[in-house]
Amino acid sequence: MPAGRPGPAAQSARRPPRPLSSLWSPLLLCVLGVPRGGSGAHTAVISPQDPTLLIGSSLQATCSIHGDTPGATAEGLYWTLNGRRLPSELSHLLNTSTLALALANLNGSRQQSGDNLVCHAQDGSILAGSCLYVGLPPEKPFNISCWSRNMKDLTCRWTPGTRGETFLHTNYSLKYKLRWYGQDNTCEEYHTVGPHSCHIPKDLALFTPYEIWVEATNRLGSARSDVLTLDVLDVVTRPAPPPVTTDPPPDVHVSRVGGLEDQLSVRWVSPPALKDFLFQAKYQIRYRVEDSVDWKVVDDVSNQTSCRLAGLKPGTVYFVQVRCNPFGIYGSKKAGIWSEWSHPTAASTPRSERPGPGGGVCEPRGGEPSSGPVRRELKQFLGWLKKHAYCSNLSFRLYDQWRAWMQKSHKTRNQDEGILPSGRRGTARGPAG
Amino acid sequence: MDPQADSPVSFLPHLEAKIRQTHNLARLLTKYAEQLLEEYVQQQGDPFGLPGFSPPRLSLAGLSGPSPSHMGLPLSERLRQDAAALDALPGLLDAVRRRQAELNPSSPRLLRNLEDAARQARALGVAVETVLAALGSAARGPGPEPAATTALSTANNAAGIFSAKVLGLHVCGLYGEWVNRTEGDLSQLVPGDVA
Repeated sequence: MPAGRPGPAAQSARRPPRPLSSLWSPLLLCVLGVPRGGSGAHTAVISPQDPTLLIGSSLQATCSIHGDTPGATAEGLYWTLNGRRLPSELSHLLNTSTLALALANLNGSRQQSGDNLVCHAQDGSILAGSCLYVGLPPEKPFNISCWSRNMKDLTCRWTPGTRGETFLHTNYSLKYKLRWYGQDNTCEEYHTVGPHSCHIPKDLALFTPYEIWVEATNRLGSARSDVLTLDVLDVVTRPAPPPVTTDPPPDVHVSRVGGLEDQLSVRWVSPPALKDFLFQAKYQIRYRVEDSVDWKVVDDVSNQTSCRLAGLKPGTVYFVQVRCNPFGIYGSKKAGIWSEWSHPTAASTPRSERPGPGGGVCEPRGGEPSSGPVRRELKQFLGWLKKHAYCSNLSFRLYDQWRAWMQKSHKTRNQDEGILPSGRRGTARGPAG
Repeated sequence: MDPQADSPVSFLPHLEAKIRQTHNLARLLTKYAEQLLEEYVQQQGDPFGLPGFSPPRLSLAGLSGPSPSHMGLPLSERLRQDAAALDALPGLLDAVRRRQAELNPSSPRLLRNLEDAARQARALGVAVETVLAALGSAARGPGPEPAATTALSTANNAAGIFSAKVLGLHVCGLYGEWVNRTEGDLSQLVPGDVA
């Protein structure tokens, strides 16, 4: 399959083909008062009419006064291109009735309807016009990607070509066919998810591969992409789990793990759409600190609908999102496509220090000489250990147990104040799942 | 209908409402016609939008702009000519739209404006004919030949692209001239607004 085929007009001017009306008759041109010849209602004609040229090529054109115009002469005629007068040294008289023009190293057309080359009489009146199409043939489209929302439709998008701008209107057509039989079909709903996209809404087969490709065509030629082969089932994606807003919904739930300052529990419900199909889903969680842009991703969530995040900073607001991947459709182990991330849910870890008046769990009233809240806590912890520890080994587990006991017994203010930035009560209640 | 009368004609309320409505429509379409012309010249490229651009004035068989003697005609005759022009314009605007769909396929706003203009001209023409009928005047006089649209279509296809652009400019200009003329003629019927 050739990467690109140049059109019939490469270096020389070419008149593009145009459909003829079945009612065409040269006589009808007379109702417009138009002299036959194709330059419109003027007393001259430009040749060539509406040529198509490659960028950088040259053009030789002529403006010929009609012989039936008495006293008409090409003396004093001049050219304009897109409204700008061309230097006189670019044109010369071929004969008394014809003015010639030579343009070199043409730039790409300024508008898709063609550059306006006009021949003027000495008084500035318009005698004739011709539209130039200067551009490049299309490059091979590439990077085709497709997905299905419901196993019945298919949306594809592509990249038009490394060169990008062709300066000519380029038509892109998405084609598809069943791999081993069937005829070529053409997608009809374009620009559904961007300028280079198309949507096939129905009548797609499953469990059998399709061949998909894109054809690009303009006045200077055409190009065809490589063929993408896929089974619609392999590119199914699902919408995100029900959205999470600043009012926490019942579905994605983030809560504290008792009094543990470095952990949060995340729970969610499997999207309802997944229940209709015999496949499993795997999940991914990501979270970040409130004022950070760096997300951390938890990959190995598998098929469960809860997870505990550990190693977090105490007293810190976190944003959490969940997404799912419907792998294993009808027994296949092939991964599907990750859904969008759910809307973020915010939660904060308990604070490890108790600043401010009345907030102190660990700061005794009337205070001993203060040497820092952490050291005071540790001192109290060691005192507690002497009473309760039957194991001399100090461990974080023991420390956690003590902290949880402290918080439960003193009913800390953080649990009562709420944890969301809006100041509303948070979802952090009770132990994690 | 005597445009020379010194006092406004007294109309039935529903006819008065219809005249006001039609006049308002014509006024609105005058603005839309200006926007259409601006959009059209922009998409054709310079020199179409440049001041002083003056291509040869084309005459479409059966439809031209309002003649200089238009204002001297009786009001009923003026409205008949307005209705006849508005009846011919949709076909011409459709022909321009089809050609522009080939020349400017990536200009949906222009194509939509041309489609809207055809529909709006048709609606205004029908409304003017309704007013004429209610006033007891026949809507159709010697109107434009139906071949005007066919002639434009075939000439559009056979002529060069520059000429097609000029033809389209001419049609858009005619549309503006006739809706503006219709608005002026109807204003003489609006109670309280007799010139």
